[in-house]
Amino acid sequence: MTEPEHENTGFLYPFIESEERDAGPLLADLAASARAKALLSKSLAAATIEATAGAVEAAARAMAQRFEAGGVLYTFGNGGSSSDAASVATLFSRPPSGRAVPARCLTEDPAILTALGNDVGFELIFARQLIAHARAGDMCIALSTSGGSKNLLVAAAEARKRGVLTVAMAGYDGGTLARSPSVDHALVVRSDSVHRIQETQAALAMQLWRTVQLELARKAA
Amino acid sequence: MTEAATSSPTWATAGADDADDLAGASLALARRFHAGATLWCIAPRWPEQARHVAVEFVHPVIVGSRALPAVHVGGPGLVEALRALVRPGDVLCAVSGADDATVADTFRRAPAWGAMTIWIGAGPRPVAGAADHVLWSDPDTDPALAPYDGSLSLRYHMLWELTHICFDHPGLLTPPEDEVCEGPVCVTCSDEGRLAEVVTATGDLDPEATVRTSTGLERVDTTLVGPLPAGALILVHAGSAITVVGDTP
Repeated sequence: MTEPEHENTGFLYPFIESEERDAGPLLADLAASARAKALLSKSLAAATIEATAGAVEAAARAMAQRFEAGGVLYTFGNGGSSSDAASVATLFSRPPSGRAVPARCLTEDPAILTALGNDVGFELIFARQLIAHARAGDMCIALSTSGGSKNLLVAAAEARKRGVLTVAMAGYDGGTLARSPSVDHALVVRSDSVHRIQETQAALAMQLWRTVQLELARKAA
Repeated sequence: MTEAATSSPTWATAGADDADDLAGASLALARRFHAGATLWCIAPRWPEQARHVAVEFVHPVIVGSRALPAVHVGGPGLVEALRALVRPGDVLCAVSGADDATVADTFRRAPAWGAMTIWIGAGPRPVAGAADHVLWSDPDTDPALAPYDGSLSLRYHMLWELTHICFDHPGLLTPPEDEVCEGPVCVTCSDEGRLAEVVTATGDLDPEATVRTSTGLERVDTTLVGPLPAGALILVHAGSAITVVGDTP
């Protein structure tokens, strides 16, 4: 599913743009654009949830098993994906309903991030934190739109080395991250719009959370 | 199992019933940026949402798009921090439920700070007039899950996308004269009940108070309303405080 990254809508307006005075046509076009984007977001999320159902189920089963055994979830990403990773950690650790499980985002502390970025390099900002905190039996979710972020690839390799279950979310064709041998469960959002990828990754993470909750409830029954 | 974890996923209902609101908010935001505004982003309960809004504008994902000044402000003392930072002409954007008291308190001060307000959320809508622009998720979105299912990020992503389309229309980035000043008596130019925030507390001895309005600092007479604490909101008419608005802080 694709959409043009930048819509050139100038041709719709009969006036010389700098002398354009009536905002009506632009507002109508913006609203139409919003409806189209929302529809695309919804259909991409639905298609992705369907396409990844098996992978989500498998990841959730493995995660529920690790949560039961006391495992901790670490989430991380860059830019907007770092705030999305924080949302995922919040959903697992402080859910609006269901069972709270230990989850934490590795981009929360600027002191840690700048210390690592300055001293050992940006590529190691997540891997070094995993070295300090992660134990065998823990798990991580790496969020990327490109699937090419070096610090995520390095962190996934470090996680694998330490017996940490690795789940990766990526857009486009999944990139290097989704194909990495260090990744146990790859969830790919097949789109080339960063915004639509992020919206669907949120829906996907919530589907993963739901499935983990169902697994935990099933084990408890 | 509780209801939220077992009911059908809310992404299936994510739509854009607020498409016209998004269009209006985007043009208004583009006009403010064009005039030099900073976008202040707050989300007291979900700070990561406000951080995402800020990074969207500062470091656009689409190469070649303008980098625009947007900042996440969080932590305790949010109103105090914003009071010091926000300048006339700026924009405040909140991502929260309508029941967030910090957002409501910030937004009711916004007219005195000269700031435009955009409120993004889900669930029951804010009361009429609580923000200049309300971008609200569909009624059937579960408000407890809205920060996690992509329905709020869809809204601020679209706000960014549509705002940048507006920059392709330079002729529309300056509001037409009749939108700036309308009718025989203009409320902006006259002294008609303007909202002001008291800067320093007043006592019985000095009835003159320094207050902040959308245009800057000014001195007003407070004889009619009596002593006022710093931060109180008042209505100013013809150089006098005529009433206190809401609860004093």
